[in-house]
Amino acid sequence: MIPELGRAAVLLGLVACTTGAVTGMWAGKTGREDVWRWTRWAAYTFTGAIAFATLLMEYALITHDYSVKYVAEVGSNETPLAFTIVSLWSSLDGSILLWAFVLSIWSGIFAYKMRNQHPEHAPWALGSILAVGIFFTFMVSGIANPFERVLEPLTNGPGPNPLLQNHILMVIHPPTLYLGYVGMSVPFGMACAALLSGRMPTAWSRSIRRWMLVPWTCLTVGIILGGWWSYEVLGWGGYWAWDPVENASFLPWLTATAFIHSSMVMERREHLKGWTLALVMATFLLTLLGTFMTRSGVFNSVHSFTQSPIGPVFLGFLGFALVVCIILLAARVDLLTQPTTKLAGPWSREFAFLGNNLLFAAFTFTVLLGTLYPLLNEVLTDVQISVGAPYFNRMSVPICMGILFLMGVGPALPWGNSEPGVLASRLAVPAGLSVVILIGCLLAGLREPMALMTFALSGFAGAVTLRELTEPGRHRAATLGESLPKALLTTWRTGHRRAGGYVVHFGVVIIAVAIAASSVYRSETEMTLREGSTKSFMDYDITYTGSERQDEPHRWSRVANFEITKNGRDLGKAAPRLNHYKKMNQAIGTPTVISGWDEDLYLSLVQVDPEAKMASLSVVVEPLVWWLWFGGGVMLFGSLIAGWPSQRRREIA
Amino acid sequence: MNWKVLTAGAVITVPLVALLAEGFNRDPKLRSNALEGRQAPIFSLTTLDGDPFSLDEANGKPVVVNFWSTWCQPCKIEHPVLLRAAETYGPMGVHFVAVLYQDDASKARAYLNRSGSHWPTLEDPGGRTAIAYGVAGVPETFFIDASGTIVRKVSGPVSQEIMVTTLEQML
Repeated sequence: MIPELGRAAVLLGLVACTTGAVTGMWAGKTGREDVWRWTRWAAYTFTGAIAFATLLMEYALITHDYSVKYVAEVGSNETPLAFTIVSLWSSLDGSILLWAFVLSIWSGIFAYKMRNQHPEHAPWALGSILAVGIFFTFMVSGIANPFERVLEPLTNGPGPNPLLQNHILMVIHPPTLYLGYVGMSVPFGMACAALLSGRMPTAWSRSIRRWMLVPWTCLTVGIILGGWWSYEVLGWGGYWAWDPVENASFLPWLTATAFIHSSMVMERREHLKGWTLALVMATFLLTLLGTFMTRSGVFNSVHSFTQSPIGPVFLGFLGFALVVCIILLAARVDLLTQPTTKLAGPWSREFAFLGNNLLFAAFTFTVLLGTLYPLLNEVLTDVQISVGAPYFNRMSVPICMGILFLMGVGPALPWGNSEPGVLASRLAVPAGLSVVILIGCLLAGLREPMALMTFALSGFAGAVTLRELTEPGRHRAATLGESLPKALLTTWRTGHRRAGGYVVHFGVVIIAVAIAASSVYRSETEMTLREGSTKSFMDYDITYTGSERQDEPHRWSRVANFEITKNGRDLGKAAPRLNHYKKMNQAIGTPTVISGWDEDLYLSLVQVDPEAKMASLSVVVEPLVWWLWFGGGVMLFGSLIAGWPSQRRREIA
Repeated sequence: MNWKVLTAGAVITVPLVALLAEGFNRDPKLRSNALEGRQAPIFSLTTLDGDPFSLDEANGKPVVVNFWSTWCQPCKIEHPVLLRAAETYGPMGVHFVAVLYQDDASKARAYLNRSGSHWPTLEDPGGRTAIAYGVAGVPETFFIDASGTIVRKVSGPVSQEIMVTTLEQML
């Protein structure tokens, strides 16, 4: 029953979004209110149908209905419930269904929110979003149909990929990433609407910005959670490896971040309209490219799904979307109103944003090149080469330094032309602080140039950010005689977009420091311990107290127990383990991380020999890792402040 | 029509799509097997201690060539397997050689001092040997038989089981 019902729901969704795409364009062209209403109903039907199909799939997974192809591929009776639920996104067909589901939710929300707003643009936008929906629903209904009926169902299945059932973060990381990734279709549709209608009023560009901010936030959180997941699961003590899949999520984040900055120039100065819209389109296209990279089997990656027939179809869609974007931009960009003023000179905020955009574009190009280069080289010369982490690190460090520097300079500059002297006076204190930090680090014996530069520039950017956050409040307190906390809160509330933006900058500064410290000052060793013996590394004493076997329905594990003390202070027990899953011949480790605000002790089991009573461990001590996750939290908090609907707008609505 | 935008777009789109389409003809997982059955590329490099080493030196003996680096965690997981294999099969005439991949000799020396090794580790300036062997990532291990033919290539850490069965076949 479920295979047929699921297929029917998907087909209904396909009909609904096809209808909505057509009527949306029609309503945009004619401005007819009734056609616009049909379009919204088509979007709601799309949401309902795909949501129903997704729930059916979850039901099939939970009830172990092996007559459904996807359940037969990833389900198993022994997998714990939480991982059964999340196995929706553990394999190819399910992940495409999840994509369609998230897109349907976004289009439903967009249709509802836009019901009384922007009548000139909203129908075009919803039509474009639903047009994207056609492709994904088409995939789910045919070539990647997860609901296919298994004619002779078995009574048990292989279970999802063991790596994906190893940590609870797998429950939230992929959906957050998908919310961001797929959510980029909404600003894309809105950019198409601006070009199709040939008009880009400020209200619409503000609206695009808001709709970009939400998926951008989800993508940011998703990327950081992904880093956290690989840190907690993969066992090498790192959080970022420049793997094609990580790059796939990072690329659209870069262009979206560039957009968030250039859109401010567009709003205030009417400049960079074509460029800003191109960034929105590039962001969307990069999400498609990323999905293609992970699902086509063309790229080799720890994350990639198996080879599948969807690759060529996906590439066809990517090519089609590229052509549509370019023709739209080329044909319509000159219709958008041109700025009446010239872009201000080098001592202006506009100019700093321009620099920021160039750096982000260079960053995007660097990462894209590194990701595609092995394939390019192989196609051209038939020689395989590998672009490893060293290339990415070498290229990205100077760009990140430039971005940190501009994070300090940009906010200190006023909009419009000013004098170099203004900048010098505003930057004197932050620059002084960065020199103090530099001297402090040198006195403390730190010598690595990359870390020193990062710390100094972070101090610089952090000081400017702090001043920009508090200056309006301090000014208000001085002129109106209010108490400082009250004045600060008032200015943050009225200027929440600005304040939120600076909080995000704070998060970035924290993350920059954490990355530099944890990658430059990481120390690691390997040790083999006999039961009862103790070995020391850095400030830690590690005592091996023996190992045990733990059996669970879906796996068995060898757990090694250690007692840890730091400078004589008891840190408790650590129990890294090696997990053996059914039908997998390689063991998968679960490292133990003892996290502190100053540093993490990372223990990952290499080998256990219960008979000889020996255990081999890989031990990593990494400073400030905890601050990386904390910085991610700060970024999320800042985005929430910036994106929160303002009092006035809520009243109008 | 803005021809500049159109041209710029075409310049990006056409090669990108063509490149990705060409990628379908190349399975990254099959790639690794392309060298199997072929004559192993010859190399002459220097060890971390500065001594010359050439693949010819193995004349008539099986060789295990392992590409690795200190920044690669799977390589460290693989290390005990190599140690054990070298202890067992080294005396039986199998040569073990490691080639350092995109890494500093000083880091490698420090690591090997801690973890031990019974084989020469070679520096590969410019990664020429890695390129000749089509190394796509580390670790990668090539099993070369007595006639100099690559019998097997393993991407990722070699398990104890694969190590033993492959070496037994080669001897």
